[in-house]
Amino acid sequence: MIRFAALAHVTGLALLGLAAAMIAPAAIALADSSDDLRPLLYSLLITAAAGALLAWRFRLPSTELTRREGILLVTVIWFCAAAFGGLPFYFSHHYQGFTDAFFEAASGFTTTGATVLPLVEALPRGLQFWRIQSHWLGGMGIVLLGIAILPLLGVGSMHLYRAEFSGAKSEKLKPRIAEAAIALWRIYVALTLAQYVVLRLAGVGSYEAVCHAFSTLGTGGFSTRTDSIAGFRQPAVEYIVIFFMILAGSNFARQYQLWVERKPRAFFWDVEIRAYAGGIAVGTAVILATLLGHEGYSLEAAFRSSLFQVTSIVTTTGFVTDDYEKWKPLAQILLLALMYVGGCTGSSAGGLKVSRVVLLLKVVMREFKAIVERRGVFAVRVGGQVVPDASIRSLLNLVYLALLVNFASCFLLAAMGVDLLTTISAVAACMFNIGPALGSVGPMENYAHLPGGAKWVLSCCMIAGRLEFYTMLVVATPAFWRK
Amino acid sequence: MRILIVGGGEVGYLTARRLSREGNEVTIVEPDSERCAHLEESLDVRVVRGSASSVDDLREAGLKQAELLIAVTGSDEVNLLACLIAQGESAALRRVASLRTHEADRWRAVCEQAGLRIDLIIHPESELTSRILRVLRMPGVSDIVDYAGGRVKLFGMSVDEGSWAAGKTLAELDRAGPPRNSLIAMIFRGTEVIIPHGSDVLLPNDQIYIVTRSSDLDKVIEFMGLHAREALERVIILGGKQLGIWVAQELEKMRVDVKLFERDSARCHKIAQMLESTVVVHGDGTDEATLTEENVKGAAAFLAFTAHDEDNIIASLLARRLGAQKLVALINRLNYIPMAHRLGISTTISPRLHIVDRILQFVRKGRVLSVTTFREEEAEAIELVASPQSRYVGKKLKDVRLPRGAIVGAIARPGGEVTVPRGEESIQAGDSVIFFTLERVVRELESAFLREPERRPR
Repeated sequence: MIRFAALAHVTGLALLGLAAAMIAPAAIALADSSDDLRPLLYSLLITAAAGALLAWRFRLPSTELTRREGILLVTVIWFCAAAFGGLPFYFSHHYQGFTDAFFEAASGFTTTGATVLPLVEALPRGLQFWRIQSHWLGGMGIVLLGIAILPLLGVGSMHLYRAEFSGAKSEKLKPRIAEAAIALWRIYVALTLAQYVVLRLAGVGSYEAVCHAFSTLGTGGFSTRTDSIAGFRQPAVEYIVIFFMILAGSNFARQYQLWVERKPRAFFWDVEIRAYAGGIAVGTAVILATLLGHEGYSLEAAFRSSLFQVTSIVTTTGFVTDDYEKWKPLAQILLLALMYVGGCTGSSAGGLKVSRVVLLLKVVMREFKAIVERRGVFAVRVGGQVVPDASIRSLLNLVYLALLVNFASCFLLAAMGVDLLTTISAVAACMFNIGPALGSVGPMENYAHLPGGAKWVLSCCMIAGRLEFYTMLVVATPAFWRK
Repeated sequence: MRILIVGGGEVGYLTARRLSREGNEVTIVEPDSERCAHLEESLDVRVVRGSASSVDDLREAGLKQAELLIAVTGSDEVNLLACLIAQGESAALRRVASLRTHEADRWRAVCEQAGLRIDLIIHPESELTSRILRVLRMPGVSDIVDYAGGRVKLFGMSVDEGSWAAGKTLAELDRAGPPRNSLIAMIFRGTEVIIPHGSDVLLPNDQIYIVTRSSDLDKVIEFMGLHAREALERVIILGGKQLGIWVAQELEKMRVDVKLFERDSARCHKIAQMLESTVVVHGDGTDEATLTEENVKGAAAFLAFTAHDEDNIIASLLARRLGAQKLVALINRLNYIPMAHRLGISTTISPRLHIVDRILQFVRKGRVLSVTTFREEEAEAIELVASPQSRYVGKKLKDVRLPRGAIVGAIARPGGEVTVPRGEESIQAGDSVIFFTLERVVRELESAFLREPERRPR
């Protein structure tokens, strides 16, 4: 039994929250008295009215939400965020139609950062801020934010947390879910502030500093400039962004231990963080080696460019400083592979997550051992901890599911006539919330020219990927709706 | 408060649920991974999979940072070990353990001699025995609880079909001239819990709780149409577990005829050695022929204390049909309790719930003298001491705004005077006040009653 009234009530609250988030962009538009004030105000009113109606008309039940309700609720909230969050774009003349608006908002909240805008600078500052702020809100999880601010769902919020962070190792920093959510958000806010200050010191204007701090910490990728970070032409800014991208892509629970509990060991000795750092180092080295053969790269520039692109892709941010489509095929295929890996669990990054890839490799090694030693019994260990078989099974399922979604989406895109390289890379870039891909949606292009159907498929890929596949896809199965 | 609960069984679960709802940071250590998953699903707590007697696992669960350790695994040894580890890790940490061995008293002494400090050792069997014995001698009374050091009594009864009180509102009952200082504090109807007002009606099959001055207890019982106390003649006990044996021993002292049924023959022999005048019967107490043969008919009380809730319920129903007068059933699963009441088993006891009550009382200690939870923990009787700063002190009760679903049951003054107050009376500093309240407003009530006016730092 799913209590739709309860879901409607909470969805209403979420919409009210979304409307509140539109206040800041509207205020900017008001201050600039630019033409985006009207779209933002209309959207704010519509979202607030819909939210108030739902929250007021339906009541929260006295008993807590069930797991099934939690899963459905999270999926609904994410789609609502994209739909209502797309309204300001829809009402403005900068976007063509609802498909583009939905795509842009989904790309924002899922921290993908794929845009349909050919010229980002043409967007007024209010809409621009709304677009980038959605990265920041979606980065740590919009539902998690709700849990932190409104701890009214009790145990039910645990199911929401799980649904938004499905598959991630369920590890709570604090026994109480609301406090755990607050702890994560505190780290997130603190890092955002830190990046803002450092960017300001590097000479970036305050508006752009806020925008890029939001976009970096959410591992989003929207920028105020069409050329992304390359537009600053400042190596210092690039290094700052690299540093904060790395932090945004590493586990926030570990960062809590590092910054708040002052246990650097917990952070630096963590298996996942080490593999993540190692992966970035190796990836950078390989690409650096291929770049050295190119014309016109100094050693420093080659290092900076390869480190930046590798970090940006691994953390699924999607900022660019260089046109990597001009690089050697080895570098390009490496970047495509890194899209699948993604950042650490418990971070704002997307992708399959480093810990899963590590575990996957260990499972494969175990199978090899099992072939040689037919009667041997082997445990899979990660960081000294034995991984239970149930976790391995769910991991394999998740990988399989991701591949399935990947192939299905590729078929759909190809059926709409999109070329092969674009199809393969765009699906990966959207599923794993990166943004720029290869082919006709490369770092220097945008998604505007894709057919409408392809944009809907990719929007769904983004949300499915952000919710780590299970949550959204299980809602589409008949078993979910069986009484 | 940071609380570490060792053992995620039923007791651990219930305790964690209550403590986390009351705003504590709870961590549970539980070895079984499936049970862990269940706990994580249904509680807002941190669950650590591990052994309660493993130093590393307890450390991982945050033993050093915890302020209270509650050891409620099914094994006494493990509970004691957990307390020992806790003492070694942090001296300031308070410790609570439940012990199920009949040697609990000996263990208290041993712990003291050995320097193992356990702040509260709960032995539910011995504590429940007195509660059972009190009820046995009063026909029609299903439960009796003491407050304010025995000066206030709360008793439960069911409203029978033919009772004169059935169908009357509380206001009407009040006009019939009940003894002063008595009040119907709670009504349980099916699964519903009512903290009643004058306009509420008593219906047949309601289970009601009445609070009264201890000295007026007999008068109130008589007013409600129940018989006065009778001498107990014959009692039948089902199940040779510790609780049955304890109760039998106490009844032997009162020269009551006791018959105790136990299925396991080896166990029967052991029990026979422990008991003197009690007849130990090797037989299945859920079997009609056995019960008839052993003359259940006319027994003053039938106590079903086997380890299985279902057996206890079925046996009680059977005994009633065969003519036993008072039924007492041990029921550990909370959601069976309302069902048992509906089936006419008026007295149920639950060692697990008792442990949870005692733990809650301990956790809230200082502020709260005692806690009794009723039914599926939906209602509570709590006894609080009024501090001079409390907002409720000095006002007439009718002017005090209590949360909805809470009433003042009785006030026990330090001088010994006890009243079941009307609106004109007021609470004075130092009084023990017994509230009856729905579970969901307990926190509100406690914080309103106990809150001191904030002192501003200058």
